[in-house]
Amino acid sequence: MSVLRAQGLGKIYSSKGNVVYKALEDIDLQVEAGEFVGVMGPSGSGKTTLLNLLATIDRPTSGTIEINGVNPVKLIENKLALFRRRELGFVFQDFNLLDTLSIQENIILPLVLEGMKPASILQRLSPIAEMLGISAILNKRTYEVSGGQKQRAAIARAIIHQPSLVLADELTGNLDSKAAKDVMDALKEMNEKLKATVLMVTHDPFSASYCERIVFIKDGKLFSEIRKGGNRQAFFQQILDALSVLGGNFDDVPFARA
Amino acid sequence: MTFRSLALSNVKGNWRAYGAFFLSSVFSVMIFYIYAAFIYHPDVVSGHILQADKVRSGMTFCLYLIIIFSFMFILYSNSAFLKTRKQEFGLFSLFGMTKKQLRKLVVYENMVIAILAIGMGILLGVLFSKLFFMALGALLDMQESIAFAVPLKAVWLTAGGFFALFLAISLWTVVRMGRSEIIDMLKAARKPKGRLVYSRWLVTLAAACLLSGYAMAYMMDSNSFVVLSLPILVTVVVGTYFLFTQLSVLLIGWIQNRKGIYYGRTNMLIFAQLGYKIRDNARILFVVSILSAVILTAMGTVYIMQIQSREQMLESSPYSLAYVEKGLHSQEVIDQKQLREILKSDGYSISRETKTVGLALEQYHLTFENSSREIGWENWEESSPDLSLFIISATDYNKLAKQQGEPSIQVESGKLTLLYSNNFGTTLGPGRAVGVLNGKRFEMPVADSANVKVANNWIDSNFYTMVMDDLSFVDLISGIPEEEQRVFYGIELKNWEKAAPTVAKLSELVPEAMRGEKDFTRPERFVDMKAETSLILFIGLFISLLFFIAAGSMIYFKLFTELQEDQSQYKGLARIGMTRKEIRRIVVSQIAIVFYVPCAVGIVHALFAMKSLDNMMGSSNWLYSFVVIGAYIVMQTLYFLLASGSYMRSLTRVTAV
Repeated sequence: MSVLRAQGLGKIYSSKGNVVYKALEDIDLQVEAGEFVGVMGPSGSGKTTLLNLLATIDRPTSGTIEINGVNPVKLIENKLALFRRRELGFVFQDFNLLDTLSIQENIILPLVLEGMKPASILQRLSPIAEMLGISAILNKRTYEVSGGQKQRAAIARAIIHQPSLVLADELTGNLDSKAAKDVMDALKEMNEKLKATVLMVTHDPFSASYCERIVFIKDGKLFSEIRKGGNRQAFFQQILDALSVLGGNFDDVPFARA
Repeated sequence: MTFRSLALSNVKGNWRAYGAFFLSSVFSVMIFYIYAAFIYHPDVVSGHILQADKVRSGMTFCLYLIIIFSFMFILYSNSAFLKTRKQEFGLFSLFGMTKKQLRKLVVYENMVIAILAIGMGILLGVLFSKLFFMALGALLDMQESIAFAVPLKAVWLTAGGFFALFLAISLWTVVRMGRSEIIDMLKAARKPKGRLVYSRWLVTLAAACLLSGYAMAYMMDSNSFVVLSLPILVTVVVGTYFLFTQLSVLLIGWIQNRKGIYYGRTNMLIFAQLGYKIRDNARILFVVSILSAVILTAMGTVYIMQIQSREQMLESSPYSLAYVEKGLHSQEVIDQKQLREILKSDGYSISRETKTVGLALEQYHLTFENSSREIGWENWEESSPDLSLFIISATDYNKLAKQQGEPSIQVESGKLTLLYSNNFGTTLGPGRAVGVLNGKRFEMPVADSANVKVANNWIDSNFYTMVMDDLSFVDLISGIPEEEQRVFYGIELKNWEKAAPTVAKLSELVPEAMRGEKDFTRPERFVDMKAETSLILFIGLFISLLFFIAAGSMIYFKLFTELQEDQSQYKGLARIGMTRKEIRRIVVSQIAIVFYVPCAVGIVHALFAMKSLDNMMGSSNWLYSFVVIGAYIVMQTLYFLLASGSYMRSLTRVTAV
């Protein structure tokens, strides 16, 4: 069963001066339930645009998206927000945790907004917190914990309401290599144990090596796709090879991480 | 780009933050100009307008008040601006702007604002001054209106005064601008919020201060005023301060522990952020609360005084028209027929009236056993017979009392009861009355005094009223010829509040020699009092409005300094699927709390102040202050709607929720 099905997706930005810019062109993408998919591409390749379209915070100029059988483009704004809240989970590069809330409150926010009972909220929270290794810091504030812990809290928030699809945007971009490894391990565990479907945008080959399948895009078009065959080390090498074929600017990403 | 144009574009760029400050500055300038324009108006200066003198001194006082208030307001706003713009200044320093240039820039910016505010304020002042003069003319009951004029002296005073004020303050703030490192300046906005903490000790202090302050205010009366007023002021101010800095944290923590409430959808975000909003703005909320309390108390006091004086008038003069005739059928004071004709032709109907026969006790002297109070003349035998006591029978008294809704009394036979009203409800106790009745010495014991008044006593022949038991009264009056008996006439008019012109006409009919035998003063006194209090209310209204707008603009400004932070937060929340409606609910309820909490605290303070005012005056009118409070709430609501609307707009515009 496919959770995400995008067909002929395109996005054209046009400014007032009739300057037309094609950010995305004819993208077909399908993600099956329980999959862990990465999207890679050089700077300016349209990764973020693609993610925004899938995240339903931007609308495509052509093509269709279907998430869990629903076409979000057809929803009105209010319904769309609710759709995002129920069907999608988000992990951002800058964590996006509220510093007025404790870690626990940040994680349970999606459930609280849905009006779930406090008892069942806490019931849901504890196994996930346990799995992510953040049980001890639940009552801390965001500024009291490390970046890696923040990002794991963000993963918990993205997953606690059991969304159809978790979207991650450069989630290791602000982390050092040790924290990045912890976070990717955590995300992988979520994917394997809770069968969470994850779509991750990154230009870090190390993070990408955790995926089952990687889609490369360049200049707004699908370029190639690779699947993990053996172990992660081998896949990492595969990714580096693919990137060298892809070309483009990856300078801002530290390579030596594996 | 010159330096000056940089300053200009800075002002333009920061307009949203400057806006509220600018508007309240404009308002201060406008009010100042209007008052000054009245004070220096050619008609007023030349003494053309008779009533203007008193108003003038009141307004001069207001001018000082405005200047002092504007000084504090501008000083506060200026330093707040500089704090919020640290990052911007850090950037300028990074590009190599020297400290001196930075200061020059700030002074330039301030001068741009100052000149705009002064110009606009004076312009609006000139536009609205005629309207103000018209209202003032109506309140002063002036026949000819005050002409439109722009007194140059007022213009120069306003422009010069405010320019000097702005300049002095901006120089002062610029000199004090800290020498922080560029990196600190750049990071200024991104400090972590920290944990909300409170000290148990200070919370206890806050609660103790507020409770004791309120308790003292509740119990204070005119005797304890001198001792208690300062402690009340101190405890309430201290208590209010810690209410916002400490108690608020405790209260929010309490809500956060009630998971049933706290985990109720948007409540979590509302209360979590509210804690920080209140803590970060505690000082402002405190100042605004105290300001609200002062405005409400001042306006409420004037308003209650007005009601109080009306009541006192009704009490001291039970009849709007009252006089005493000597002789049962004589009409020497005023002709009854004429009186009624005039009343009828002027359209006044009589709601109740009385004709009570009594006796005059002249050269009287009353002494009491348990009180040092004496009434009349100690050497009564040689005193002048101008004033006399009026003695009525118990039956007549009870008739009057019933008419006026006062309780009836039982009198002891062979004894007099003195009608002696005061604010404290005390009576004088037993005593003796001596005097001259119908040319003969008269003496009788006094049983007690009664705290009641049924007839107007500002009348020569009815300086005090005494009640005698029916038997003794009949016995006494039968020996006195009809032409020596006195008759008290009392007429109460419907619409007496508006009867002053008619009453003046009636007073003309009373012969010079008989003027002392009438009390027609109530309608006139009421008009005078009303004019005076409305004038105070009217002039005070603008000052209150000024305070109010400034208080609101401080909150508004604080809101906007947090806008950027909030924007990024709501952007994140919108991405993870928070609906626009939910964001609106969070934002609006937070703004509502920040707006209404100081308002509510101010109202509670004011109510206690009104209660002690009541205690001091022995009245129970404090509930009338809800008229003033109601008006205040309506205005605050208007301000709140404007502020939250504008805040929501700027939030969504950038966030594109």
